[in-house]
Amino acid sequence: MTAALHRLARTDRLAFAGLVILVLIMLATLLAPWIAPYPADDPRPVDALLPPGAEHWFGTDQVGRDVLTRILYGARTSLFIAVSTLALSAAVGVTLGVVAGYAGGWIRDVIMRVTDVFLAFPALLLSLALAVVLRPSVTTVIIAISATWWPWYARVTAAAATSVSARAYVDSARCLGVPAPLIVFRHVLPNALTPVLVQLSLDAGGIILTAAALSYLGLGAQEPTAEWGLMVEQGQALFTTDWWVVTFPGLAILITAFAFNTLGEGLRSILDPRRTVR
Amino acid sequence: MRLPLRTLALVSALGLAVAGCSGGEVRRPAASSAPAAPTAPFVYAFNLDVITNWDPATSSSNEIIALQNVYETLTKYNPETRKAEPRLAVSWTASPDGRGWTFKLREGAKFHTGKPVDAAAVKASIERTRKMAGYAAYIWDSVKAIQVVNPTTVRFSLSYPAPLDLIASAGYGAYVYDTTAAGRGDLKAWFAEGRDAGSGPYTVGTWEKGRETELTLKAFDDYWGGWKDPGHYRDVRFRVTPEETTAWQLLKRGEVGFMERVSPQLFAQAPADGVQTSETSSFQNLLVLFNTESTDVRVRRAVQKAIDYQGLVTAAKGSIVLGGGLVPEGLLGHVPGDPPAQDLAGAEALLREAGYGPGGRELTLRMTFAQGDSDQQLLTTLLGSALSKLNVKLEAAPLQWSAQWDQGKAKDPSKRQDIFVMYWFPDYADAYSWFNNVFRSAENVEFNLSYLKDPAVDAKIDTLPELTATDRAAAEKAYGELQATLIDERAAVAVPYVQRYRRAYLGGVQGYVDNPAYPNVVFFHDLRAGR
Repeated sequence: MTAALHRLARTDRLAFAGLVILVLIMLATLLAPWIAPYPADDPRPVDALLPPGAEHWFGTDQVGRDVLTRILYGARTSLFIAVSTLALSAAVGVTLGVVAGYAGGWIRDVIMRVTDVFLAFPALLLSLALAVVLRPSVTTVIIAISATWWPWYARVTAAAATSVSARAYVDSARCLGVPAPLIVFRHVLPNALTPVLVQLSLDAGGIILTAAALSYLGLGAQEPTAEWGLMVEQGQALFTTDWWVVTFPGLAILITAFAFNTLGEGLRSILDPRRTVR
Repeated sequence: MRLPLRTLALVSALGLAVAGCSGGEVRRPAASSAPAAPTAPFVYAFNLDVITNWDPATSSSNEIIALQNVYETLTKYNPETRKAEPRLAVSWTASPDGRGWTFKLREGAKFHTGKPVDAAAVKASIERTRKMAGYAAYIWDSVKAIQVVNPTTVRFSLSYPAPLDLIASAGYGAYVYDTTAAGRGDLKAWFAEGRDAGSGPYTVGTWEKGRETELTLKAFDDYWGGWKDPGHYRDVRFRVTPEETTAWQLLKRGEVGFMERVSPQLFAQAPADGVQTSETSSFQNLLVLFNTESTDVRVRRAVQKAIDYQGLVTAAKGSIVLGGGLVPEGLLGHVPGDPPAQDLAGAEALLREAGYGPGGRELTLRMTFAQGDSDQQLLTTLLGSALSKLNVKLEAAPLQWSAQWDQGKAKDPSKRQDIFVMYWFPDYADAYSWFNNVFRSAENVEFNLSYLKDPAVDAKIDTLPELTATDRAAAEKAYGELQATLIDERAAVAVPYVQRYRRAYLGGVQGYVDNPAYPNVVFFHDLRAGR
């Protein structure tokens, strides 16, 4: 791990910068209750729309809440959505993918055709449709994005699992009478995970952007939850007069998505010599 | 490769945004460059659907902004003098006992169908409006009979004294129209296709529901007021623009001529942008209607107490004033008293009593409000924040009016919201409509969006018109008692604020006067393009 980090710092400074930014964001997320200058949801209408200054570095919003504080707490929401969505999508996608790759035949065909159906829809459109049907909330965002993200992991895992399943040590295990589930979890899955890990790091930024988009459209996080997309939506009407309300959460989305993306690209360079592009 | 593209798009968007906020190039307002040509259409930017009902007999909603230019009433309310002034009627007299009213009609006025506006047409249209029993038909309740004296004279006999000159100026339900416009066909269906049978300065051009430019109006050449001044706007467009900032940018570029709601920030910025503004007090207040069927009265009282009334007024920076009672100041029935105030401890106690609150069951309340209304958004944010501290989750959905209203009127009660937020204003300078239309029991829900069914309340409401005409002290008392019942006892409603009308319009436009009796209406014929 340390060697990989050294290699990353030497060979891909942009990716290393992305990593540093993400570590800082995660620290800020964890320490938000201690480092945030004000409570997360503390409206003070008399302080509404104060410009950035000594007391409020990023200014205040329409009801007098500190924008910096909301951004710090908003990072919690965004990262929670990203981690939960990745975990849910990967759990479903990897499980189905490894089963498809190992079993082959009609099982693979059925699973892959189902993924094709999901992939046929534009991801954001499908997420939007699901989010409209469900009640707007953070959970809805996680479910809606996961529903569109898992097929990618299923495909990547299936391809890797098919390749691994044809290896001699898997054949040996079969010949020795090792049960199929054990072969899958002991031999196939660990050796098929590398491309999935790369994909996960690449997708985190995209998930944050999609979650922000859903909240921006009123289908995700709801007041008083601090969420970057929601903050952008609520501040957009003030863009020409009180720019700070919308600009800082917009920058937070931009920087986080950018950091995840550069890190993902760097990890791909290190972990995936074939530099597979899906 | 989805992600890099998205990131690139975001970078581009943010780049554009930063350019905008750092003083990037913005086209100058039309007003400060070339004056608008008189032949150019006047464009009204509205944040909601314009037309919900074409029938002048039953119209009750947003379409007032168009129909008041297409149809006319016998009289028109003058907010300066607080009296009715001539419109289709040039003069009128009342009998000493107030039960007989005679109106002399304007000669030469014509409907868009080509027929003359005469006493028979006045009688026919008012009788049809009463028969259709739509939202505002109640305004004619005092009328016992209508008599055509001659083609230009019409006489009303009333069963009890009533200010018929004011009633005839009402924003809804008082239109005079050609009831024969559809011939032998169904007039209601004829109207529903987007046709009109009015006598106003404009007639319907095009109507395309759901389109950005939903409605266009064109000049009626035979209008009795004439079109001699070349500065008249002969064409009018209604452009649905939900986002206020978009409307503002369009206004600055001269692509729209009028915005009916402007945030405090943009209002303050208007002079620098070469945009004219107007500010007047109004009778329009915000009603937070609680679903009395789906929610416990203690929960409703708790939500009333959770509203940060003073905070809302402070955050709105002058665009609203503190509410309280249902009847705004300036109308008979207004109850002066202590202004409402937030009481979170009281709210918590009520929620605990109902089994909710901190440590109790979590409660979710579904609220709907108007998309694009910054003051309602403030209410939502403050209320959501206050309720979250009380273990109550507020699911607030900003909706277009049609969608919000349809959900409110849903036959299936489970599909209705718990809290419905809307503005209300009187049909004429009288408080009765707040009670008759919003809180009177109704099988078919129209505006009774608290779904209250209380025969005692109904009975008291029914006494109001006659009391207002015969015993003002008793009417005042009845209004006070009703408000105490509806707000304090039944907790069917909260009234956080009364609006101040803040309008913005093109720099070169002349002749605009805000008339709060006709909320959000621009009388386009009165306007003149700048020279």
